[in-house]
Order: sequence, then C-alpha cells, then structure tokens
Amino acid sequence: MIPYVTLSIDGALIKAAKGTSVLDVAIEYGICIPHLCHVPNLSDLGACRLCIVEHVVNGRSKVTTSCTLRVREGMVIRSNTERIRHLRRNIAELLVAQAPNSRAIQDIAVRCGVKKVRYPFRNENCVLCGRCVRVCSEMWQAKAIGFVGRGKDRKVDTPFSQPSEACKRCGTCIDLCPMTITPCDGPMKPGEEYLCGKCESQMMEANSSPDQCIWCDLGEGFQCGRY
Amino acid sequence: MPGRELDSILEGRRSQPHQLIEVLQDVQENFGYLPEDAIRAVSRALGVPLTEVYGVASFYKAFSLKPRGKNVITICTGTACHVRGARLLLNQATGQLGVAPGEMTEDGMFTIEHVNCLGACALGPVVTENGSCHHHMAPGKLRKLITSLNGKGEATHA
Repeated sequence: MIPYVTLSIDGALIKAAKGTSVLDVAIEYGICIPHLCHVPNLSDLGACRLCIVEHVVNGRSKVTTSCTLRVREGMVIRSNTERIRHLRRNIAELLVAQAPNSRAIQDIAVRCGVKKVRYPFRNENCVLCGRCVRVCSEMWQAKAIGFVGRGKDRKVDTPFSQPSEACKRCGTCIDLCPMTITPCDGPMKPGEEYLCGKCESQMMEANSSPDQCIWCDLGEGFQCGRY
Repeated sequence: MPGRELDSILEGRRSQPHQLIEVLQDVQENFGYLPEDAIRAVSRALGVPLTEVYGVASFYKAFSLKPRGKNVITICTGTACHVRGARLLLNQATGQLGVAPGEMTEDGMFTIEHVNCLGACALGPVVTENGSCHHHMAPGKLRKLITSLNGKGEATHA
C-alpha cells in the first residue's frame, strides 16, 4: 500500500502519494501552476522557475519551485498569491525576451500576465529548459545531447559538436522543444520581435473564474495535450 | 595519440565513474590539454557517457579542450587586479604575441588566458607563467617576461 500524506494547496486539503512533487499533485487535482521545463515521468530540474510557489513553514513563506519540492505531511502551499504572481510575471518576461520566437513561450507570457517586455529581445533559439537533454538520457537512455559550457556560454550540444553515435534518431528532443512551435503570425525576424499578446482576451475569463483551466486553450496543445 | 601514457593514467581506475575529474586532471597535466581521443578513451574506460565527460570538461575553466602553448600566461582580471590595470597587461600580452586570449600562438610557444581571481589580491596585478606567480606586474615587466621566455624557447630549439 502506498503511504499517503495530506497537504494543503491554496487552501484545498489534498491527499497525495508520498514521494511525488507538489507540481504533479497540483496538476492532478486541476490546480493550474504554470510550468515549462516539467515533463511527466522525467526527473525535474527546476530550470524555468515558472512553477514557483510559496511554501509556508512556521508562519514564514519561502518561494521555491514546486517541481522539485516533494510533498510532506501538513505542508501548506500557496500558488496564486500577489507575491508569486509578481515574481512569475517577471520570470515569464525574461523568458519571452530571451526567446520570443515561440508560441509556447508567448502563450506562457500572456498566461502569467506579461503586458509589456522591459528587456531587450534576444531572439535566441533555446531557453535551456533541458527537456531534450532529460528525455534523451532518461527515456531513451541514449545520452546523445547534453549541456555544454558554463554560465552565459551554456548550451545544448553533442560532444565535440559532431553528430553523436549514441543518437537513435528518435526525434523526441524536437517533439518536446518549446521552440518548435512558431508564433501564430509566423516566425519573427531578428530586430522585429514583439510580445504577441493576442490571447489576452481569454485572460478575463480566467481571472473571473479561477477554477477553470484555460491552459489548454492558451497553450493550444503544448502544455496539456502535447507534453 | 600516445596510448601508453593514457593507459598508465587509467591504470587501476577503470570502471570507476567517480574518478572522472581526477583522471581528466591527470590527462590535462600530461598533454597540456584534453585531446578528443583522450576524452573518448576516458569515457569508454570509466563507463561514463561521452556527453557527461564532455560536459564536465567544458564546464570547468581548469580544463582546456584546445591545445595550449608551451608557456601558459595567465592574467588575473579579478576586481583588485582590474583596478590596478589588468586590462593594460592583457592588451600588452595580446598585442605583443598577436593572439586573442584563450588561443595559442602559431609557433606553439604561448597561450594567454585570463582568470577571474587567483586569490592573491594584495599582490595585484598578478600574472602566472606556467604556474609560478609574478606579483605587481606592469606592462613593461610583462613584455620583458615574454621576451625572456621566447628567448629561452629559441635557445633550446637551436
């Protein structure tokens, strides 16, 4: 028999199997915590920082990523406070400035309430979410790609930048990449990047009925359907 | 690729993934850098995937994936050294040798590198040459150092 613990997320008392992460439990119970780097059945990295929540311990709250936080008995989690929304909006703003050329990331930015981007657009092809690296090593046991370099020079690459012998040509890395879905109006040219924000009208509905998940409409198959 | 040296490095450490960094340090010490063949051999011998070995090798500044010159000149560009004119030293060295930092001169004699702190801030600006430390450097002193190293190299060549 699986041992269970009881925790509260946004005031709702929830029974969860021991050892699962707070994010997994929240998704299972329909509590919508925005996330990007999380993929079910893969290890969690806490790379995108979008899934931050407040973890209340002894009356003080700590902000931490819910995907790397394991459930414990009597835990108190708040996922939708003013502080969290503010921090999450900032993180989404940085992500969309780094890689505006992706529908998935544009959608996440709208979902997190980004109205305007205060940072220069970089138009990079990668946000280092690590989905491809983890699926390659954990699901396919291939380890053909990995993180190379450090700090601002960090990137995803094969050893010596040559085609890897370990690659099984499965293409899962491309399937999971948030950069493979282009924005609705087509790819953006360098120097002409902008915050799309066309789905913002849907946010009204989401704010007036917070129990309804708009993730599927907004992510259009990225988060809920196409993991 | 001299396989014998690599064999002696790997001796007694095969199939021990936790020895990865020690082995890479020994390879670096032996060859001056990490050759591609050596990285592949280390990956096979220790049973660590090639991606992970390459990731570790590219992560640490102490490892170099490109061949390095006979004399490695490391210029500290940490805060204290920067304030005392490390930029001038870097300009002097790159100008005199005609290479960018991190690259090797064509004759294979010099490599210029810059690091963020050597931990000897009171002695700044600091330059190390093949591991030995030179304190209170000035562009003039650095020029003489490079010239003397160059002269020594040519003398042994002849």
